[in-house]
Amino acid sequence: MSGFFWGALPYIAFTTLIVGTAYRYWTGERGWTTKSSEFLAKDSLKVAGPMFHLGLAMALGGHIIGILIPKAITDGVGISEHLYHIIALGGGIPAGILFLGGFFMLMRRRFDNPRMKVNTSTSDGWIYLVLGLTIITGFCGTLLNAVGLLGDEFNYRECISPWFRSVLAMSPDVSLMADVPLIFKCHLLLAMLTMIMFPFTRLVHCLSFPFEYFMRASIVYRRKV
Amino acid sequence: MKIKAQVCMVMNLDKCIGCHTCSITCKNVWTNRPGAEYMYFNNVETKPGIGYPKNWEDQERWKGGWELDGGDLVLKTGSKLGRILKLFYHPEQPEMDDYYEPWTYDYETLITSPRKKHQPVARPRSLITQQRMEIKWGPNWNDDLAGGDDVRQDINLKKIGEKITLEFHDIFMKYLPRNCNHCLNPACVAACPSGAIYKREEDGVVLVNQDICRGWRHCVPACPYKKVYYNWKTNKAEKCTFCFPRLENGLPTVCTDTCVGRIRYMGILLYDMNAVLDAAKTDDPKMIYAQMLGLIKDPNDPEVIKSARKEGVSEAVLEAAKVSPVYQLIKGWNLALPLHPEFRTLPMVWYIPPLSPIAKTFEDKVYLPKSEAMRIPLAYLAELFTAGNTDIIMQTLQRLLDMRTVMRRKEVGEAPPQGLEFDAYEYEKMYKLLAIAKYSDRIKLPAGLQGKTHEQLRELQGTAGYACPGGFC
Repeated sequence: MSGFFWGALPYIAFTTLIVGTAYRYWTGERGWTTKSSEFLAKDSLKVAGPMFHLGLAMALGGHIIGILIPKAITDGVGISEHLYHIIALGGGIPAGILFLGGFFMLMRRRFDNPRMKVNTSTSDGWIYLVLGLTIITGFCGTLLNAVGLLGDEFNYRECISPWFRSVLAMSPDVSLMADVPLIFKCHLLLAMLTMIMFPFTRLVHCLSFPFEYFMRASIVYRRKV
Repeated sequence: MKIKAQVCMVMNLDKCIGCHTCSITCKNVWTNRPGAEYMYFNNVETKPGIGYPKNWEDQERWKGGWELDGGDLVLKTGSKLGRILKLFYHPEQPEMDDYYEPWTYDYETLITSPRKKHQPVARPRSLITQQRMEIKWGPNWNDDLAGGDDVRQDINLKKIGEKITLEFHDIFMKYLPRNCNHCLNPACVAACPSGAIYKREEDGVVLVNQDICRGWRHCVPACPYKKVYYNWKTNKAEKCTFCFPRLENGLPTVCTDTCVGRIRYMGILLYDMNAVLDAAKTDDPKMIYAQMLGLIKDPNDPEVIKSARKEGVSEAVLEAAKVSPVYQLIKGWNLALPLHPEFRTLPMVWYIPPLSPIAKTFEDKVYLPKSEAMRIPLAYLAELFTAGNTDIIMQTLQRLLDMRTVMRRKEVGEAPPQGLEFDAYEYEKMYKLLAIAKYSDRIKLPAGLQGKTHEQLRELQGTAGYACPGGFC
């Protein structure tokens, strides 16, 4: 079973993410939108929206550093394990608080305001469930690890990170995942589930960064086609 | 010179009776579906009044339109990067309560109610939450100066320092029908990060491509007239289309076609695209109107025609431009003025300011009072149409008064008064276009992009049309 979870599922998730997003773009561009609900409930978005997305950006940055940069490199430049953890927690805990706090504020906004019902689809419900559990498992795992409740031997930079890089290198080393605590396993599975859901939900909005906007002229003229 | 054609509209406010027929016919055609119930691509406001959405003219609050920043023309709503940073919460976005919460009534209770002591009542129900609701605001809440205190909040009144007491002997009002102005320098187009909104080269109509729109909603605050709307169901922007499927077949917009007071004129203007930016950058807002007139070129000038042909303007459009009633009203007689030119979007829906029905102080034994003695303060009209330049308003109103005087003299068999700006023949032409206002004189549109003649189109009547009434299918 672990062969499937850690050897096959990552590829299923990545493939679904890429192919599914392309499929969505080519077949359903008219439905491609942020699904903004600011129009329906503005005040409650003021803090929650920026807070959640800032937390997300910080968490994403932390993941990229923690997973993609091998331990050997940080060791090589003289960052001790102790110092690394201080840096990681110093950034990670505020990120987690913003991310999770923003998430709960947004969740309350979405399910407490009767107007928001018209902006909430079934897929939105699933996003809140899966994304919420992903954040909670990640945040709790980090906290438990920091206070040493996951055992002294566990260091994600010696198991999860090399495993992820082995996945990226197309030769997954499933054995690395054998002794990873359950909470982190859940976190990884939920993250992969999020990737699988991504193309079919409102999450696609994060791909809509308007790069062309910064190059183009102010006024756009087009001929009738 | 780079000549392009623009479909343009003029509204003669002197004849607007505020009946809302334009709003209703427009609504039935375009915004009668979930997500769009609150939208009025065309609405009629009573002025003074705060309008729809509330206080839309207050650009200190909404940051609509353009402003000059050291000689550069920039969007008031902020730089490209600055606005992208408002990604997760945009303070200048209007919300539903700035328009109104759309509702229907429980009509069924009128039929299904059991026998009771009192007659059953159809109570209002929100079209958003589907729950019972209390109606607190509506699309024309200030109609005919209703809601006195709101009326006092009209920013144009505040700017001119007019003490509106709302006492009967001082009271004044007028109607202002509004749809998208299909501006020459549209702020909504410039604000769209996705490049979904564009100005059509052939006829200048500003449209939203529903596939490209990503729901950034930056167009909504950027438009100083608040004429781009956010559909809460499709999560995309929508706006007045100038009824482009009709235009393409040589027909006027629905609002124009159905106008009971026959106040709307439609036709072609030829303008110099290269001069648009300079006109929008005019230093003194009071001079923008004059610069706009400068953009509009004489459709009979051979140089203009030559340049237009080079830009691919069709012969049908050039012919329509030569007989354009809007050209005559805007540039021929200078009767029509742009709405809030100080927003610098160079709007292409123009307004003939209204004469007031009763003069404020009308003591002289004259047939008609002078323009400055009219009941609506010149300064108020100037705030609306000339960025505060009362001279232009005075000139326009005087021409309308002169026309009436000439026609009155003719009616009673007297010679026309001396020393008028135009000769009597010109005033009669004005009278024919403004007072008689025949459909065929008011609307001079080319047979259309599809190249069909009016006769060919008539044969098609009933065979083509909206395949999806209400947008469900």
